[in-house]
Amino acid sequence: MNSQAVSTAEAPENLAFDLQDLFKATPRHPRFLLPLLQDIQSRYRYLPRASLKLVAEHLGIPESRVYAVATFYKALSLTPRGEKTVKVCLGTACHLRGAASVLDALSRSLGIPPGGTTQDMRFTLETVNCLGACALAPVVTVNDRVYGQMTPGRVAELIEKESRHEAD
Amino acid sequence: MIEITIDEKKVFVETGTTVLEAARSAGIEIPTLCAHEGLVREGNCRLCSVEVTERGKTKLVMSCMYPVTREGLEVRTDTDRVRSARRFVLQMLADRNPKAPVLQALCSQYGVVPNVPENVEPELCIRCGRCVRACETNGTSALSFAGRGWDREVTPPFHEAPGDCVGCLSCAEVCPTGRITWEEKEGKRSIWGRTFDLVVCERCHEAYATAEQLRHAGSDPETARLCPRCRKMAQQERIRLGTRGA
Amino acid sequence: MKLTSLKAFEEWQALLSEREKGASGVRRVRICAGTGCLANGSAQVKAAFEAEAIRHGLSIPLEFAAESTGCHGFCERGPLVVIQPGEIFYEKVKPEDVREIFEKTVLRGEVVPRLQYRDPNTKQAARTSAEIPFYARQHRLVLNRCGEVDPFEIEAAVSRGAYRGLARAFSMEPERIVSMIKDSGLRGRGGGGFPTGVKWESARKAPGRHRFVLANGDEGDPGAFMDRSLMEGDPHSVLEGMIIGAYAVGARKGFIYVRAEYPLAVKALQQAIRQAKERGLLGRDILGTGFDFDLEICRGGGAFVCGESTALMASIEGRAGEPRVKYIRSTERGLWNCPTVLNNVETWANVPHIVLNGPEWFRSMGTEKSPGTKIFSLVGKVKNSGLVEIPMGTTLRTMIEDIGGGVLKNRAFKAVQTGGPSGGCLPADALDLPVDFDALTASGSMMGSGGMIVMDERTCMVDVARYFVDFLAEESCGKCTPCREGLKALQRLLHKLCSGRGEAGDGERLREIGSALADTALCGLGQTAPNPVLSVLRYFPGEIAEHEAEHFCRAGVCKGMYWPRIDPAKCVGCGACKKACAAGAIRGEPRAAHAIDRAHCVTCGACLEACPFSAITAVRREDPE
Repeated sequence: MNSQAVSTAEAPENLAFDLQDLFKATPRHPRFLLPLLQDIQSRYRYLPRASLKLVAEHLGIPESRVYAVATFYKALSLTPRGEKTVKVCLGTACHLRGAASVLDALSRSLGIPPGGTTQDMRFTLETVNCLGACALAPVVTVNDRVYGQMTPGRVAELIEKESRHEAD
Repeated sequence: MIEITIDEKKVFVETGTTVLEAARSAGIEIPTLCAHEGLVREGNCRLCSVEVTERGKTKLVMSCMYPVTREGLEVRTDTDRVRSARRFVLQMLADRNPKAPVLQALCSQYGVVPNVPENVEPELCIRCGRCVRACETNGTSALSFAGRGWDREVTPPFHEAPGDCVGCLSCAEVCPTGRITWEEKEGKRSIWGRTFDLVVCERCHEAYATAEQLRHAGSDPETARLCPRCRKMAQQERIRLGTRGA
Repeated sequence: MKLTSLKAFEEWQALLSEREKGASGVRRVRICAGTGCLANGSAQVKAAFEAEAIRHGLSIPLEFAAESTGCHGFCERGPLVVIQPGEIFYEKVKPEDVREIFEKTVLRGEVVPRLQYRDPNTKQAARTSAEIPFYARQHRLVLNRCGEVDPFEIEAAVSRGAYRGLARAFSMEPERIVSMIKDSGLRGRGGGGFPTGVKWESARKAPGRHRFVLANGDEGDPGAFMDRSLMEGDPHSVLEGMIIGAYAVGARKGFIYVRAEYPLAVKALQQAIRQAKERGLLGRDILGTGFDFDLEICRGGGAFVCGESTALMASIEGRAGEPRVKYIRSTERGLWNCPTVLNNVETWANVPHIVLNGPEWFRSMGTEKSPGTKIFSLVGKVKNSGLVEIPMGTTLRTMIEDIGGGVLKNRAFKAVQTGGPSGGCLPADALDLPVDFDALTASGSMMGSGGMIVMDERTCMVDVARYFVDFLAEESCGKCTPCREGLKALQRLLHKLCSGRGEAGDGERLREIGSALADTALCGLGQTAPNPVLSVLRYFPGEIAEHEAEHFCRAGVCKGMYWPRIDPAKCVGCGACKKACAAGAIRGEPRAAHAIDRAHCVTCGACLEACPFSAITAVRREDPE
């Protein structure tokens, strides 16, 4: 595992400036709150604290409402995520086929609990409730790359492969 | 007007009246927690359940929100099913909030004994949301619900002193459990980690609002010298004395 | 490019249809590009076919076409490939296999036996998909284009009939369409089963200037992927249904709410919307009829509760996905307090067929109260796992044994879980129940959105109950007391039972809390949350009792609540268990009976799973070694 510090997309000093293009592309109507937050999340891999107030101003809603939405939806995060998000599906089919032990193995190999992120910001480990690939159970995805029929034995291979992959 | 029956009593109400209000008009009280006269109803505490029978079907509904729309609606506020439902709700609340006085009173009325599980920290908030709704109604929205599920909580953004708060105490006034507290000392009011300057009425010398609260309402704290009560009395005096205007 | 009249559409559709038939001379390969097969490398398989065509000097697409299609539904066997002419079916195709397939099958029409599907019970090879019981016994109506057309190419869908229903609808009055849907008896396919026509009618009648039509693509039931395949594989079927519905109820704007976990579905729908607009099938003045209707996609944020209709609407409005009390129907006051029709993606996909073929035709399939077909995802411990579309009223037994091929590894059937977290687990004596909206509900489960999870003797039903409660506790919005606090209470009890800390009365407490929760929760999530637990209490009380009183898990799942024991009479010494054991707890020489050393065993269950001879069983902790 590469433990060198990798530059993450840290929130830049002038966030307002950096977000100009996103704000320009988003109408100033409250209904665009979730998509706007999702766009910001894609850019920085989390929602920088200061972005909430800027979003509130752009859409004309209170900051408390942005906070409520940011903390309600699992796809959004207020803490920095790793370059790659490893998602272990805990859907019923996957559960029956041993997803729990796959999660265990990944957690041990990466050295982080589910929900955690590695020190070097390379990997975040999450669980997800059914990806809809049930016939391939147990399923693990890494940034939308799907790995079917996972076993604890194949975990080392997955991490090795993903460590070599460039950030995407 | 529609005729319905509540606990075998015939009651006449306007279409759209809630069963809760209809029952009150007939002198029947139904326990509530999250409902408040000045606020939009949410129906989340689930305490005010009643049985209704309509078109041959009987179901359990929340009286604070269920609208009377059909002639012949039958309501029962005290059946076994209703009592059982209310006991369940009270048990669930009390197991997490055993100390709230309003809950203690209801628990003794319904024969519920709190049973806080191991590793659970008792707290006072029952997530009724009245404070959030009150703050929203006021136009400040300094508070919201954050997170979801069992960890859902009422908080200002990031658990920090909210910039949008004006110290009006609406939240504290509507809170049924006493969870929300504030302090007043030396001409200042503190709540949610913020401190506000109090404005004192020239006539009765009561501290009646914060400066921020007045600004938010469109008044200028410098010129708003009288509290609403004294302002009204001063106006009445002027009318009595036959002079209008300033 | 843009079609400005119904006539122009009909001419274009006829042209494409002719071209499709005329193209039967072109050698064609259909490669499944659904999420499952893509995960197994189908994109590389396609590339390999194209490379072969070039190598053989065949011009693409005139003499050879390699098409990526939507999900074929048999995901476990992927990558799936079908060769035309002849409909020759291959499974588990790798890029290395492509050269052989090309030379033998594409050029000479000969089969490659090792790539053919073999019936798990008879071992017979199937030449075409029609010979595979999994497909043959299906009635692929809604799924008819799925897996057969490129979802990113509108012309492919139109050549196979897409938008003909819309053209027909425009020749009718909106009220007529509503009564057709009513007469057809179509009921919501998302789980609720509400009569669709009645819903449309009440929205049509509701006062208000603006109204909306919505598609629920939030398919959150774990184990269900019907809607995913439909959105990925035939997005136009959904669009067409919605445009017809909008015309029928007078809506000018629609939203398709797709969960965040389905990025390919979002892509396919976005492309479909773009292409439909280009052709004048969506947007302003559709096909010159003067009818305007626009569609937008909303992506979910990772919240199962957003599949609940009022929570979905809250999410579109830009708020947290919290359901609201629904004493006033959404058809009167829904999205932004306007009349709204929300239907599941599969429901919308049924609409064009009904408009085209009529209500009587629809009623000729299925049962009286549940006409039509339904798509199910048959998964779990079943041999043939995937998507199955069959007429309503088909029995569980037919689904699991005839289409599914029976339980994996020929183990004993234990239960089938239907309806996702809102449904229950049904035992073997329920297998002859017909699957429709009503029969399963009476037995304590429900058909739900179509998830069907098969469980064998190695499934602990108490663990299954715990699994579903864990899921729901995580997904509960937390707004109402019963769901927020009650699920937590259920969770504590079930974790106790599954970790050897059960106490007398725990089962009864589960029942009390479960029933009260169902009666008082604010929305469908909470109201149905106790179903898995309550069905386990009803049909598997022995297992609950054993977990409660004896701290014994006879399925060999709950850690520390059993010991695995190898029966020396059945053990042939194959060593599979020893290989699977990560704790080094199994000793034995090849071809001699193996034994488990309890000092090292961590009860992970791997050996129980691995043994092909059922020689390992779970015994009580007190039983001697």
